[in-house]
Amino acid sequence: MDKIARIDMGAAGGPKVTVGDLGQYAGLGGRAMTSLMVAAEVHPLAHALGAENKLVISPGMLSGTTGSMTGRLSVGCKSPLTGTIKESNAGGQAAQVLARLGYAAVVLEGKPEGDDLYKIVINKDGIQVIADNSLKLMDNYPLVAKLRQEYGDKVAYMTIGSAGERKLLAASIACTDPELRPTRHCGRGGVGAVMGAKRVKAIIIDDAGMKMRPPKDPEKYRDANRKFVEGLRKHPVTGEGLPAYGTNVLTNVLNEAGGYPTNNFKSGQFAESASLSGETQAALEIQRGGSATHGCHRGCVIQCSGIYNDKDGNYVTKQPEYETVWSHGGHCGISNLDTVARLDYMDDNIGVDTIEMGVTIGVAMDAGLAEFGDDAAAIRLMEEVEKGTPLGRILGSGAAITGKVFGVERVPVVKDQALPAYDPRAIQGIGVTYATTTQGADHTAGYAIATNILKVGGDVDPLKTEGQIELSRNLQIATAAIDSTGMCLFIAFAIMDQPETFQALLDMLGSFNGITMTGDDVVALGKKVLSAERDFNTRAGFNKHHDRLPRFFYNEPIAPHNQTFMMKDEELDEVFNW
Amino acid sequence: MSQNVTELSPIVPEFETLSLLLASDQLSIFFPILQKGVMVPATVGCTLKSLLCDQFAIPADYVSDRITTIFVDNCPVDDLDRTVIQDGSRVTLSAAMPGLVGATMRRGGYYAALRQGISHVLDSGKASNECGIVHLKLFNLLLTELGSLILARGLLLKSEELTALLKNLPELPISTHYGAGRTLLSVTFRE
Ligand code: SF4
Repeated sequence: MDKIARIDMGAAGGPKVTVGDLGQYAGLGGRAMTSLMVAAEVHPLAHALGAENKLVISPGMLSGTTGSMTGRLSVGCKSPLTGTIKESNAGGQAAQVLARLGYAAVVLEGKPEGDDLYKIVINKDGIQVIADNSLKLMDNYPLVAKLRQEYGDKVAYMTIGSAGERKLLAASIACTDPELRPTRHCGRGGVGAVMGAKRVKAIIIDDAGMKMRPPKDPEKYRDANRKFVEGLRKHPVTGEGLPAYGTNVLTNVLNEAGGYPTNNFKSGQFAESASLSGETQAALEIQRGGSATHGCHRGCVIQCSGIYNDKDGNYVTKQPEYETVWSHGGHCGISNLDTVARLDYMDDNIGVDTIEMGVTIGVAMDAGLAEFGDDAAAIRLMEEVEKGTPLGRILGSGAAITGKVFGVERVPVVKDQALPAYDPRAIQGIGVTYATTTQGADHTAGYAIATNILKVGGDVDPLKTEGQIELSRNLQIATAAIDSTGMCLFIAFAIMDQPETFQALLDMLGSFNGITMTGDDVVALGKKVLSAERDFNTRAGFNKHHDRLPRFFYNEPIAPHNQTFMMKDEELDEVFNW
Repeated sequence: MSQNVTELSPIVPEFETLSLLLASDQLSIFFPILQKGVMVPATVGCTLKSLLCDQFAIPADYVSDRITTIFVDNCPVDDLDRTVIQDGSRVTLSAAMPGLVGATMRRGGYYAALRQGISHVLDSGKASNECGIVHLKLFNLLLTELGSLILARGLLLKSEELTALLKNLPELPISTHYGAGRTLLSVTFRE
């Protein structure tokens, strides 16, 4: 990865490609690349859908190598949903293929005049930008099927559906999985709308003729990767729980903890949760000839995904993840997995974030547009988004807009991004991260649970009250670093519990680059990324008052624990004091 | 199909007992009720550790290494020796869970502070031993690993619950005259 491609979509005479060296961005990948570049190059007060915004696409530092779990792709920009800096990442094949072509980043800049729609073809011979208006308003599944006729099956596709073209604020960017299904989405923050604003419908990435990226020390890299894989396989979460049930294994546990937001955050428990659980879902998938164990990209050894078929054995969608099953399920009072799977397919096809859409439908239900638990109404609301009706455009612009339009008071958003599937009144520490992350409410912002091994910020006594602030800070630092490596965050459990697996990860990073890497280096990287993101947000007009949860979390106790969110504002303000 | 009714007789005035011997591949039929929760007779007033190790006969190292997430009455538990089980207590057992929240719920875990306010408060009272009922749930990997052990000990089912369950065992050669009260169902599986 020794070059950066910049595509000026608004250049006079048509889109113009410039390929240059890495310059100040040498050695970066993933979130470190996207955030440092956006912070340095995008005017913080730019309109997110305007020519001044940039869409930075970057594979992780280890993507395109023989290393396992290295296939995450980061997309960054100023978010049209939140107005903050945004990094949104996904699995699928794109990161591996783009990295093998040598691109540390592909940057979409400017904005074309006129109405033409473009596709971008990236291969070993270079980059072509081609106008193709036959793709207009196509959704992701038919779009990829059409592109496959022209470009075949040995490439990776990044696409936007009709939602991205319509510049809806919940719009995602789809990345194809190994079976070329558009199921892996850079979902959060409306990154698909930014791609749509630049009039780019599809990016076709073809690494024919390219080889795996070679490590500086191949023997050490191979050895470290072997130890890393062994560590993932032997851990009960990464070696057993996630492969068997996927992330939806959390439904039962969250419901039991009273932290499963139900009927738009009115209760912490859903009576029908067992019908939606990962255990039930996996059994159904296997019984219907689908699969409960599937990797979103080649080289994943955890394989937390799966294939969800209908009762006749026909493919419906990939295995819906925990957040999706929650947002379209319990959050809307819906307990039918087939309905959730249908909505997941619609999200992927139209190209919208499943968390944002599910939460929005719950808010719409609170507004009286449908009853909680009405499966058919939820599908009807999604069809409005699909058709691009005025109501559909409101819904597709997310929970905050929908709440404002329909006068709903209980709108679960931070910085206008919908909260994920954990109620911060039951799990207070999660609320600290939701409130303070640079990205708007985001569960993965504090997901890298290996902070004890990383010793981020020194040793913390986790049983002390004040530990919550330190833990959230450390988690956010560690996550920013792991998001930069291209590693899937689900490796975190194995590296937290098994020091030898964490060492193997450091050895992979070090031997690939021919250096010795320590935990301190990882922490320094995480802090650098977060500092740049915070600085961008400050210049964009955000301050500590935006680092708060909506008031209803402070005022409305939630069953069964009857707690409100109790963290003090002054404590939240300490999170980024390092 | 290898399933037999081996016994249908009252043991205490309000309970009949029903014992089944099934092929081991039928264990999964019981997973839905085990994850929703079942009533199990137990000696209560004891510690959670004693319930799991002494009464359920789960090996201590399995309890410490494998059952890493435990709830009593919706509260995550950190110390099994200082959690007393009462009549009607709801006990939920799970293997390790993914993600930050999974780590947060983990027993005695590094991230326990993040769930402050809902963690189980340590019991200091003395244990007393009385007959009672515990509402037990098994999740994820533990369904397969502990399901047969719990089923062999016996579950108390209301007649409608039992009837619904037996519908999933279609070749069971019995009628459904289990009485209107609760039945103690015990199931063993052939190797
Ligand atoms: S663990 Fe899941 S999300 Fe991570 S790379 Fe594998 S399939 Fe994708």
